[in-house]
Amino acid sequence: MVLRIDLKSPVPVYRQIVDAVRILLVNGELNPGDSLPPVRRLALDLGVHFNTVAEAYRTLEEEGWLEIGRRSGARVVSRAVSNHCDPETSEAFQRRLREMAAEVQARGFPRDRIARELRRLADNLERS
Amino acid sequence: MPTQTVLFVGLFVLMGGLFHIIPGLTRPDLFFAVTVAPEFRTSPDAQRILRRYRAMVWMTTLVASWLVVAAGSAVGAVLLEAMGFLGALVSTHRAALAYAAAPGSIVEVDLAMPQERLPGGPIIAVLPVLLLGSLGLWVGFHWDRLPPRFPVHFGLHGANRWVTTTPATVFSFLALQALICLLLAGLAWGIVNWTRRISTTGASATTERHFRRRMAQLVIVSEYFLACPAWIALFHPASAAVNVWGLALATVIVAFTVSLMRGGQGGSRAAVIAGTAPVGDRTPDACWKWGLCYVNPADPSILIEKRFGVGYTLNFGNRWTWLVLALLLVPVAAGLILLR
Repeated sequence: MVLRIDLKSPVPVYRQIVDAVRILLVNGELNPGDSLPPVRRLALDLGVHFNTVAEAYRTLEEEGWLEIGRRSGARVVSRAVSNHCDPETSEAFQRRLREMAAEVQARGFPRDRIARELRRLADNLERS
Repeated sequence: MPTQTVLFVGLFVLMGGLFHIIPGLTRPDLFFAVTVAPEFRTSPDAQRILRRYRAMVWMTTLVASWLVVAAGSAVGAVLLEAMGFLGALVSTHRAALAYAAAPGSIVEVDLAMPQERLPGGPIIAVLPVLLLGSLGLWVGFHWDRLPPRFPVHFGLHGANRWVTTTPATVFSFLALQALICLLLAGLAWGIVNWTRRISTTGASATTERHFRRRMAQLVIVSEYFLACPAWIALFHPASAAVNVWGLALATVIVAFTVSLMRGGQGGSRAAVIAGTAPVGDRTPDACWKWGLCYVNPADPSILIEKRFGVGYTLNFGNRWTWLVLALLLVPVAAGLILLR
């Protein structure tokens, strides 16, 4: 259960933490009841400011993934998600996919490879 | 030749030997406090830099030894040795900077890594403080059993500084010992909980964990040794117990030092993985002044792995470091003034 951060990435570190932890949560590698390292511990190990990690945990708490206790630290909670997806979320998702595909294509990623990766992701999602 | 001169020369040679081997104890991708490619250490350039550094170290040792033997100037020789070693380090650090490599920017943390605990638990770490506190309490009720004078400093030949037994001297002596033990307990806790874990997966993570544990054990054992002189000073000031204590302390320190040196800094001495991006100690080269002092206000760490030698140093860019130093220095200075 490894959290991987690129300190030179243009994506802010707190965003990278949120994204990486969310992937672990969605994939079931982190389950309700599991604890995350304390803010101080994770910040020291990553070499970033405490506020960066605290902000990431707060974002995940707002999304309903975590419960942050003063003493118990950050704990994963069960999160009820309705199957109904509102049109705004759906539109935002499609926009992000298009943007991402355009971005990697601009960096030289071949179209067929992008399609292959998306297909693999879709297969994994259907299987899970 | 007087015994003192022989002791000084022996000490200089010992220090020279220590400085000779220290560059080989750092993490493989750090060379004189500069992040380098792991395979750089074995390159002809690195060997040339190392030879030059060692020549400077032994030249300094030779001149310092000559100064103490021929001129009888022990203070001058000690100063020369210290300045010579510092000069060798700084100039070699500058030479190594030309071969600096950019460390990898990817940081990995294992979220499932268990929280580390103090060896023996927190009670073992604070027990010397509690024992000194109970000694103070006992002394308060049995004042008549104390000697008229007691030693507050010990040298090679036993006690060498005595003070008259008064409430101020006895309690400031005990309070000072207790404070130092408390700070050491805090240091042990800090090593386990507040230091950066460079490797979080695989065998290197295990050796690093063992290294931290060994360091914390050394600090806790030192606490017990520090608490002992209070008992000896107040109850058996003229006994040979202090010599036994000194010998035992030296043995323990040597045993721990050898064990830590065998593993190297962070227990990673042997972990050379050629062809990989250097990881170093995850601190920027630019924040190391002379390769010795770490000053980085953006780093939340207070305790940082030394880049030269084995153990930890402070992040002088962190304002909490200065608060800790003030908390340490003010009471120690007050205690020393009271015990003058």
